Formats: sequence, C-alpha cells, structure tokens
Amino acid sequence: MKFKSLYALAFVALMTVGCKKSYLDINTNPNSLPSATPSFVLTNALNTTAASMVSPNEIGSYWSGQWTQSSSYILTTTTFNYQFTNGDYNYWDGLYDNLYDYEYVLQNADATGQKYFKGPARVMKAFVYQALSDMYGNLPYTESLKGVAVLAPKFDDHKAVYESLISSLDAAIVEFKANPFASAFAGADIMFAGNTTKWIRFANSMKLRILMHQSRVAGREAYITTEINKIVTEGSGFLTGEDVGVGGASFYIATAGKLNPIYDRWGYDANGAVRAAGRYPRPTKFLFDVLKASNDTFRLKRIAYAKGGENTGNPGVSAQPELISNYVGVPFGVASGYTAPATSYIGPSLFVKGQYNRPVIMMTAAEVQFALAEAKQRFSGVTLAGTAQSYYEEGVRQSFRTLGVANATAQANVLLASGKVDADWAASTDKLKAIATQKWLALANFSGLEAWTEYRKTNLPVTPQSPGVTTADRPLRFYYPATESGSNANVPAGINVFSSRLFWDID
Amino acid sequence: MYKINAAENAVLIFSATGFSDTESKVSKNGSISLQRKVDELENVVVTAQGIRKKQREIGYAYAKVSNEEITVGKSPQLAQALSGKVSGLAVYNVNNSVDPAVKIVLRGYRSLTGNNEALVVLDGMQTTSTVLALINPNDIENVSILKGGQAATLYGSAGINGAIVITTKKGQKGKLKVSYSNSTNFDQISFLPQFQDTYGSGSHYSASFGSAGYKTNYLDRMKENWRPFENQQYGDAFDGSQRIQGRVLEDGSKWIIPYSPIANARRKAYDIGVSTNNQVSFQGGDESSTFYMSVENNRINGIVPNDKSDRTGVRLSATKEYGKLLVGFNASYTQAGYDRTSSDFYSDLINTAANIPVNDLRDWQTNPFANPNGYYNDYIQAPNFNKDNNRQKYLDANIQGNFDITYKAADFLTIYNRLGVMNNVRTGKNRTGKFLYSDWAKKSAYVPAPWDWANDYNGINRAGTDILGGVTDYSNTENVLNNEFQLQFKKDIGQFSNKLILGFSLYQRKTKSITIGSTSVVVPDVYNVSNRQGELTGGESNTLERKYGYYADLSTGYKDWLILNGTFRYDATSRFYKPDRPTNTWSYPYYGLALSFIATDAIPSLKSNTLNYAKLRINANKNGNDNLPLYGLDLTYPNGGGFPYGNIVGLTVGNTLPDANLTPEFVTSYEVGGEFQLFNNRVNLDVSAYTQTSKGQVITVKVPNTTGFSNLLINVGESKNWGYEADLKVQILRKNALKWDASLRYTYNDNKVVDLYPGVNQFLLSGFSYANTNIIKDERFPMLRSDGYVYAADGSGRRLVNSTTGYPLRNTALTNRGGTLPRHMVGLGSRFTYKDFSFAFNFEYRGGNQMYSDLGRQMTFTGSGKWTENRVPHVFPNSAYLDGTGKITDNNVNVREAEYGLWVDNYRLISENFINNAWFIKLRDVNLAWNVPASLVGKTKIFSGASVSIYGRNLFTIIDKANFYTDPEFSFTTGNGQGINTTGQTPPVRQYGINVNLIF
Repeated sequence: MKFKSLYALAFVALMTVGCKKSYLDINTNPNSLPSATPSFVLTNALNTTAASMVSPNEIGSYWSGQWTQSSSYILTTTTFNYQFTNGDYNYWDGLYDNLYDYEYVLQNADATGQKYFKGPARVMKAFVYQALSDMYGNLPYTESLKGVAVLAPKFDDHKAVYESLISSLDAAIVEFKANPFASAFAGADIMFAGNTTKWIRFANSMKLRILMHQSRVAGREAYITTEINKIVTEGSGFLTGEDVGVGGASFYIATAGKLNPIYDRWGYDANGAVRAAGRYPRPTKFLFDVLKASNDTFRLKRIAYAKGGENTGNPGVSAQPELISNYVGVPFGVASGYTAPATSYIGPSLFVKGQYNRPVIMMTAAEVQFALAEAKQRFSGVTLAGTAQSYYEEGVRQSFRTLGVANATAQANVLLASGKVDADWAASTDKLKAIATQKWLALANFSGLEAWTEYRKTNLPVTPQSPGVTTADRPLRFYYPATESGSNANVPAGINVFSSRLFWDID
Repeated sequence: MYKINAAENAVLIFSATGFSDTESKVSKNGSISLQRKVDELENVVVTAQGIRKKQREIGYAYAKVSNEEITVGKSPQLAQALSGKVSGLAVYNVNNSVDPAVKIVLRGYRSLTGNNEALVVLDGMQTTSTVLALINPNDIENVSILKGGQAATLYGSAGINGAIVITTKKGQKGKLKVSYSNSTNFDQISFLPQFQDTYGSGSHYSASFGSAGYKTNYLDRMKENWRPFENQQYGDAFDGSQRIQGRVLEDGSKWIIPYSPIANARRKAYDIGVSTNNQVSFQGGDESSTFYMSVENNRINGIVPNDKSDRTGVRLSATKEYGKLLVGFNASYTQAGYDRTSSDFYSDLINTAANIPVNDLRDWQTNPFANPNGYYNDYIQAPNFNKDNNRQKYLDANIQGNFDITYKAADFLTIYNRLGVMNNVRTGKNRTGKFLYSDWAKKSAYVPAPWDWANDYNGINRAGTDILGGVTDYSNTENVLNNEFQLQFKKDIGQFSNKLILGFSLYQRKTKSITIGSTSVVVPDVYNVSNRQGELTGGESNTLERKYGYYADLSTGYKDWLILNGTFRYDATSRFYKPDRPTNTWSYPYYGLALSFIATDAIPSLKSNTLNYAKLRINANKNGNDNLPLYGLDLTYPNGGGFPYGNIVGLTVGNTLPDANLTPEFVTSYEVGGEFQLFNNRVNLDVSAYTQTSKGQVITVKVPNTTGFSNLLINVGESKNWGYEADLKVQILRKNALKWDASLRYTYNDNKVVDLYPGVNQFLLSGFSYANTNIIKDERFPMLRSDGYVYAADGSGRRLVNSTTGYPLRNTALTNRGGTLPRHMVGLGSRFTYKDFSFAFNFEYRGGNQMYSDLGRQMTFTGSGKWTENRVPHVFPNSAYLDGTGKITDNNVNVREAEYGLWVDNYRLISENFINNAWFIKLRDVNLAWNVPASLVGKTKIFSGASVSIYGRNLFTIIDKANFYTDPEFSFTTGNGQGINTTGQTPPVRQYGINVNLIF
C-alpha cells in the first residue's frame, strides 16, 4: 500500500509539472536578437551594399571590355561565351534582401527617434534600385518589400522606376535638411560619417547618373533638362574632388571576413597571403591599346601591375620592372595562351598589399564630371555653370587622382594637351565619343556596372567580340533569376538577353 | 512457483510465451527445458512505448529483426545491418568513411522539406540517430520496425515517420555465460569510376581557334597542350617516352618518369582498410534477477590512408524482482574517436594524371617530389600532403541509460515508470597545418630543356598562396531526458479481454555547441587557437525543447480473434508555444484505430493444412507533428555578415518570415494488410497496402526576394505517399540435419506533391544550379532536374549541334529527370543449416529512380573520365543541326576541337550526361559459419560453445552500365535532397572478414 501512495503522489507531481504552461515557456530564441534599432541595421546595410556590388561590377568590367580572365583558369564560358542562364548572375536576391534592411530603417526610424537615418536609407534604396534595374530592366518597385502583404509583387516599368527614384531622392534631400544627425550616431553612417551636405551632394549625383542614363532616349530631353536645372536651383551641388566610398580605415580591420571585400577577393587575405583568385581577372589588351593610343601610360600603370603582379616585398610596385613592354593585356574572352604569371594583374589602384582598409568606391568624382560634360554637350537648355569642355577636363583630372597617379593634375593636363583624339578635347571632333571614351576609362576598375551600362547606352568604345562567340550577340541584360520566376508569376516572360533592350539602350 | 500433482509417467505439456510447447513425462528427478520457438506466430512484439503485444493483436504492419539476422555481415553499424531486411525500410548509406553517414526512411517521404527519418527508440527511450553509430549490434536482442503512423501514434510527433525500436539484451536466467568474439574485417574498394589511360597532363594552351598561330592538326594542338604541371589530362597521348613532371627543384633534381599510364594508379593510393572488433559479454541471473554486461572495442583503419576510428563501449543491464515490484536498469557508455582527413582526397586523385605514381608520394615529408615545394601539379596540392595537412578529429562520449520500475498493484493494474537519459558530448578539432613555400617554388622553378617550350613562366602557380593554417575547436552537447509513466489495466469481461494503458510522457532535449577558431597558425604543428595571428573566430548555439503528452491505448479482444485497438494522444510542444498564442496552436489531439481479425480462429472451418492461419488487419489514424524548426516562430535580427567590425555593430533583418498562425501539421494514413501461414506453417506471407496524406505541412516556402524576405514559414502544401509491401518467408527444407529457409521482400513506394503554396509550383531542395532536387507540384518528390541537350523536333532523339562548331547545344532550361527515391525495393535472403554449418546471405535491389553524378562532371573537367577518351576529330554521335532555314539536317560537321573544347567547354556543361538510372543489386551480406560441435567443445572443459565464421558485406554490386561513376546510394547530403553524388563520398567498398566466437 505504501508503494501505491508513493506512486500516486509521483503521478500527481508529474502531471502538475506537465500541466504548467511555464514548462513550455522556453521558446525564445537564445541565439539571435528579437529586435534591432535602425542605426545597427543601416551600418550593416551599407556594408552589404558595398560588398554586394563587387560581383556585378566584376561582370560589368568584363562585358564593357575592360577586364577578361587569364588562361590559368579554364574559360568561364558562362561569362565569356555568354552561355548563361536564369541560374547565373543572381544579384537580385541579395540586393532585394539588402533593400529590405533600408526599408526597415525607413519604417522604424521615427519610432526609435532616429529620423536622420531616413535620408541615407532613401538614397541607398535609390542606389540599389538603379543598379538592379540596369541589370534586369523592369522590376518590382511599388509592390516590393511588403513581406506577406504582397507575396508576388508586380513588375514596374523601368522608366517609371527611374522617375520615381528621382522623386525619392528629392524626398531624401528634404529629410537631410530637416534631420541632422545626432552626433552619437554619426559613426553608424560608414559612408559619410553623418555629413548631410555630402549625402545631399551624393543624392544629386545619383539623380544626375539616373537622368543621364536616359540621354539618348528620344523625347526625354525636356524632362532631363528640367530635372538637372532643379538640381542646379537646389544649390547643394554635386560630388566634387572626392569619391563616394563605404567603409575605410575606421571600419575595415585586418581580420578574416572584415577586410575591404575587393582586396579580400582578389588581393590578399587577412594574414597577407595572396588570394589565388587574383590570378583570374586580367585587364584586356583592348584597354591597354586605348590607353597606349594616347600614350596614357600613367593611368595604365595604375590600372594594372606588370606581368607577374605585385612585388609582395615592396607593396604597390610590380615584381617585374615597370616597363611598358612588361604590361601584357589579355584579348577579351580568349581561352588559352595567356596564363596568369605571363600577363598583367589588376593594378595598385585596387590592390596594394597591406591596404586592406581602403573604402569601397560606390561612385567616382570623375563619373559625375563626365555626366555633366555629356549633359552640357547634348542639352542646350541645362543651366549648369561650366562648359562641356571644362567638365570633361575635370573628369580626366579626377580620374588621374582617383587612380593615384603621382602629380595627377599635371599629368592629366599633359594628356589633355596631347593632341590625341578622344583625349585632347580640341583634337576630338566627336565630342560625345571623347566623353564616352574617357568616361569608360575613368570607370575602369571602380565602376564596372556603370561601364557596362555606358557601353550598352553608347556602344562606345567599339570593343572586340569574344573569339568563342560565332555571332555578333552581346549580352544586354541578365535573366530574371530562377529563384524569382519560380515563386512569382509576374516575372515577364520571353526575355532574350541578346535582343530585349533596356529602355535607355536604344541601339 | 506452482505445484502440479500428477501421476508418474503422466504426460505434462508445458507452454510458455516464446517457447515451444514441450511434452514431458513426469518423473521423480525430471527437469524440463523449453525450446525457443521457431514459429514466430505467437511472438511478443515490443510496440510503441514498450507496450508488449502478441502478434495477433497487432492491427498494423511491423517487422522484427533478430540479433541473428542483424549480425550476418558482422557490421559494426546497426543501420547498415538492417539494409534490405525489412520491406518498407530504406537505409541509405550516403557516404563511406570511417564514420559512415546513413539515412533511415520508412515508407518513403511524407514531409516536403521537414524530417522524413524514422524515430530511433532504444530500450523504450526516444533518442536520436546519434545512437545508431555508437551501439554495438551484438548487444541488441532484436529490432522492431514499426512502419507506419499507427504503430507510432503513441510516440507522439517524433514517431510520425515510423520507428526503429531497439531492444538490448537483458540477460537470461541461468548460470553465468561468458562469450568472447573477435572479428577481423577488410575493406577494399569495390569499384572506381572508369578512367581513361591514354592521355597525360595538359590543358588548353595551344592558340585558340581564330587567333594567330592556330594549329589545324589536332595532334599538333595536343602536343602543345601538354604541360608537365597540369592537373587536367588533355595533353598528348602517352607514348612511353621519359618526360619531366613538374619543374626543376631547387637542388637541380628533376622528376623524370615514363610518360605511360600506371595500371590502377589511383586505386593504389587507397589502402585496404583493416578493422578489428573485440568484445566480451557476461550474462546470467537467478530466480529473481538477470544481468547482462558487455565490453566492445571496434577499431577501423579506413581505405583513405591514415583515416581511423576507434569505438569502445560498455553496457550493463540488470533486473531484479521483489515480489510485486520489478526494477531494472540499463546503462551504456560509449566513447568513439575519429580521425579523418578534411581534404577532398578523391578530387585530388582525379586531378592527377594516369602516369603519376601517386602511391609513391606518400612520404611528402621526406620525398622532395611529393613535398608541396616540388610537387608537379600547379593547381592541386599533392593528394597525400593535402590529406595529412587537413585533419578533423573528434570524439563522441555518450552515456545512455534508463531506469524502470514496474509494480503489480493488483491483478488488473500494473504501474510502470521509466526514466531515460541520453547525453552525448562531441569534442573536436579541425586543423590545417601551416606551409610556407620556398622562394624557389614561388618564383624560380622552371621547366627545363628539352621540354622548355612548355615553360610559360617560372614558379609554381599553386605556390603563390602560402598555407597559413588554421584551427577550429568545438564542443557539442546533446542531452535528452524522457520519462514515461503508465497505468496498465487488464480485465477480462465475459468473452472480451480488455487492456487499457493510460500514460503520461515528458520529453526534453537540450543542445549546446561552442566553436572557437583561428585562421592562422604561428608556430607550425601547434594546434591551439592561442597560437594565432588576428582575431579569434567562433560562436555559440543553444537550443531547448520540451514536450509533454497524455495518451491512452485500449485493446479489446473478442474471443481472441477480433481485436480492436484504439489510441488517443494529446500533445503539447514548446516549439509552437508562446504565452500569447492560443492553446490549440501548441497543443493538439490525435488518434488511431486498428482492427485485427483472425479468420482462421473465427471460422475454424477455414483452417486446414494449406491455410493454417489467416489474419486480416486494417487501421486508420491521424497523427500530429510539430515539424517546426526550433524557434521558428521568431523573426530574428542576426548580426550582419562579418559583424561586429571591432566596435561597430551591424544587424540585419532575418530572411525567414514566420506566418503568425503556424500550427502543427497532420498526417492521415490508412492501411490494410494480412498475414497468412500456409502449408503446415512452412510459408508465411505478410502483405500490406497503405496511403498517407500529409496536409498543412509546415514548410519553409521560397517566396520572391522582392518581398524583402527569401522564405516564409507557413502551414501549406499537401503530399501523398502510398505503397505496397509483401514479405514472404518459406521454410524450404526441414530434413534431419538440413534446414533451408528463404525470405523475399518486395516494397513499392511512391509519392506525389498534391498542392503547394498558391502561385508556387515548385521549389528547390538542394544541389547545383545545373542539376538539383526539387519539390514540384503533381510530381514525385524529390524530383531531379538538370539542364541537357536540345533534341531535334522530329522525334528521332538526335541531339542538335551548332552547325559551325559541331558542338552539342545546351538546353539551359532544367528538365525533370525523375524521382530520386527508389520506387521498387526487393530483398532476398536465405539461410542453410546443415549440422554445424550454416550459410546465410541477403541481396537487395532498388530501382525506379534517377541520380546525378557531379563526380562525372568533375572528371570531365579533369579529363580523367573514360568517356572523354575520344579526342580524335569526330562528328558528335547521334546528332543533327538546323540549317539556315531551320530544317533538321544530318550532322556531318566534326566538332571543332575534340581534344578539349568538346569535353571541357561543352560536354561537361550538359548535365544530362551525368544523369543515370540509379538501380542497383547488392549482395548486402553473406556469412558461412561453423559451430564447433558440442562434443569437441566439451573436451576443452573451458568452453561451452564456439563458432567460426567468414563473412562479407557488399561483396558485389551491379549497377546500370551507363553509370560510370559510383554507388547510386551515395549522396552529398543526409538531408531530403538525396540522389546527387560528388567527390565528397569515398569510393564504394566491399568488406569481408572472419569472426571467432567463444562461449565460456
């Protein structure tokens, strides 16, 4: 009988434990945070955007004819024979994921008293949407980033998205003016450290970039002129004399995974070991030929290292003597005969051993100047103060500066007075071609996606076709990724990457 | 104890469950020994929650595998030992190594993305598949396989995929029995992919088509493509000449070897694995107690040189009766250590040309040509160096035990409680050694004359990147507690016998893992994270889950021929719990009903010498499942990639959005079956048919990233799973000393995705962008898809080629290639016994599924595959092209470059080439044993029994003739996406050995 009562007691005890809800109240994730303030989210979002642009810029560098691959790797037929599918070049998923972080900042900034993060979030959303639309064309915009509310966002027209981005940048400028940064949170802004003036100039430069992408589209002149004149009226001006970068010395550290992502990918790892992947990308022979045509060896030697690459014992200097004969470019898309050690590496303007904490450049000052030059050259109605020539020449000087040419201004001025076509303004009869060519050169190494966009827009310079391609086809866009088409019935069908042109790509 | 008064010489019949009836004449000093019954009919089966039932009472399909059947092949791993022995059971041996990976699936997949693996129950305790690798198969008394939902209703959600119920030996009453067993086992590669042995190292160095200096003669191109330092094998044909491999070493030495293939060069790089198993067991007991104790050591030296494992385990179990009280405990401690390479040895070998004597390069520490500074290959580390320099070592320390009390409170009531514990700690260290190349290797090593035309540059390409080493040290703890309390009632009312079990179950599982690491090693060969440059890496992860459940199981039998069994369970789970969530979202009832009807007892006239026994069974049940990832209800904000950067914090919004209304999912299943004993009980047939529908599954649905999230966790989707099973056992011969039994098992299983999320017709499970497994509406799952050829639209099956280059066109759209789970499985086993000899074997066939071998793609890249051997200009076989007007035209265009362009740049990228029918036949195990006759054993006065056996496992495997690659069972994952293999799985092996068993 004793046993029985003991058991009955034990039974009751167990049941009681079981019945208590608190027994189950252990379901809070101990491994990850349940909430986040906008400041922390913005910091990561900026860093993610910078890192996410490395690959699109890489492909852009290839398809604008600036870079190719060495024969130390078997030919990537996907990229160099254009045999790609909707399983390739999925930058979409990562960038939309990134966009949602900016959206989160926008949604939560007011509630957390961090209003000043709304401006950066809007500008960066515009930056990412612009990049995405230039890769894929029409895309979800008005219905995107709404979580469960819209599970299959519709696709908006590329041109309409562009116009909306302009208004969104205007809204951002208004917010910047109204909400200066709280100094304690300026550090969360790893782009401009809370400097709203620079943010506004970047916003204006973004507007200019978006507007000038459409410069060859019939019937857009009035719109572009009006919008540029609005920027002039607003008065904060454009990004001048410096490049926009994310990260930098106060951010990147010499630890695996925390380096400048470009340096980490093709340069060196945290412990200074050479990245094998650095043997893959090569400057093209064509790029060298364009530079050599105007005796522009100063920039050439900053864009590339001599064959054999950097002397790791003497960072920033080539292992081989820096004679022009040691700079060997690789013909675009060639499958054999150009091994890594026998050809030029991407140069000191991108990698110098030990300089793991350079900012990742998002937009160069030169790009802005060339856009201004083109605007002034094309559209008589714009009220910009300078001349096409003055903007063009400043663009070239900025390019020399960004590349790190010693005595940049003086050396640039030599080129500008060289009498060479597409270098010296006066000697160039086709001014738009000169602008396009110099812009293409200035974008090399830093803004591959923009270079590809400009190439698609202007068809300049005339780059050679990949020898493995039997047709005249050039890729004009990426496919919408399979991940999107597999779950969103609104994905446009019938895209032909060789003939379905983006709206600003008229020929 | 009981007393029977009987006259001398009267015949008494003794009956006991599990023993044959024995007749005995009453004598003054007689003793009775009962024989274990061979006839399985009345065997007691351990069903869910340790409930013991007579077979006739069970209204659903189950199977029981005895120790004898498990140990035929002397496999040290239980899972492998079950392969092919039970219908409806698929054991996937997804990888071979000294720590083999297995996946156990009963009756196919139900869950689209969740767990489909069977629950493992050890001595009544719910545990995890962790124990499968650790338990000594010899300690197992038997394994009951509860195939369907009904069988596991009482385990709650964990048993939704069926259960593998392991019962260990408890010892037998009687005098002390000590047995010792030794097995020595050899592992040998049974087959490797088919290699070409015609062409040596080389790649694509000759000028590209269309560029200056292009050579039109393919032989000239091949000659130019030869490089002494290439990993690819697209050089010129082997000609027996003496050639250098690699470059001149710093001391001026050159590795000049014959340019001719070495037979089985790659196979010789592997060892013959040797493993030994030693074990001792003690068992015995007296009137009121039993005990069983065993010690086992299993040591494996794998086929990959230096890979090894060592498992030592002790098990102790004992029971003791005190009148109405029976107490028992069961405990085991197992320690298993593993030392494996983390390099891809297989991949390194297929990147090594057929003329390289890899086997002579094991001594990389002393042999300058095997050392990284002198190794010939510019792109791949020396396989032996790589293997030794990259190691993963880990140790599992596992304690498992349970303690149970049974108290017979009254005739009709038994009170039972069992507390079970499993604690597993895995500590491990992964390391990469430091290696800094010499300056010579980096910059100066060159290809000398007369081969200097192949000297593109000086220095070994690979040497550009020093190996700075690294360490990852980790500790993972898993702790499972499980308590079952039961009130067992038993009462006969008239013709009705009733059994009722009321139970309460508590379950808790806790895990913790901590990892720290460094990405460099400062002082070579010291593997401690403090010996580093830069920051410490690492992290922690903790989980805790709890469940409780109340259950009832009522069995009512009418005259012992009609038995109705009803079960009901009510579960509550922490996975769905939040204080503010409604009760019905985290707790759920479910139930089942089973009926068995013994036709031959109900209608005695049916019974004859032809039909001895017939039972029909039917059941239906609905099971709940808390198939939600742990903490799946929370949207989290994890650290952004790389963060924190020093003091700078960065967070990101998580990518999986949980639906607010998540609830447990339900599986409904129906099953009918029958068991028949025929021809004087010599033939036993068991058949069943079932269908299972799984609705409202908790699925991580891929949503467009344009929503801001990549996944949505939601109750959605429906899948259906159905099949048939038949088990036939025949006593073919019983003649004097000769016994011959055979068994044949057939399983058919198929499934279908009935519905997915609105707007979503398919999503990816796993794999590569060009070949992967998917969930596709209205199709079987997982469905293999890949890119492939473009076929001529005339139905001729011809592949279209580019009319200029002659290369096949690639259809980049992925096409369905078929399901990856076998539709048909057949097991055939037999056992002959003649006097003291016995011979047993088991075959297994599986088929009706497809596989993709990424191994094939990799071997096409390296040019090591036999299929790449046709490098003479040729027209692509079975092909056509479209002329300018779109007309299908017979192809007479030679491929532009058959020596490289065809294989690497075209054929390799068409994944359809590496899709195969995945059927196989394997001789799973075979055993020839000799029991030393008692007369001989008796003479020793030490032993009371002895046996010797030779055995083998997977001695031969037959696969599809177009499958050039590997074992179709292999898979790169133990997840649901079965059917894709890579170089990550070591080659298939056959195993054979000898076992000596002594009983003292």
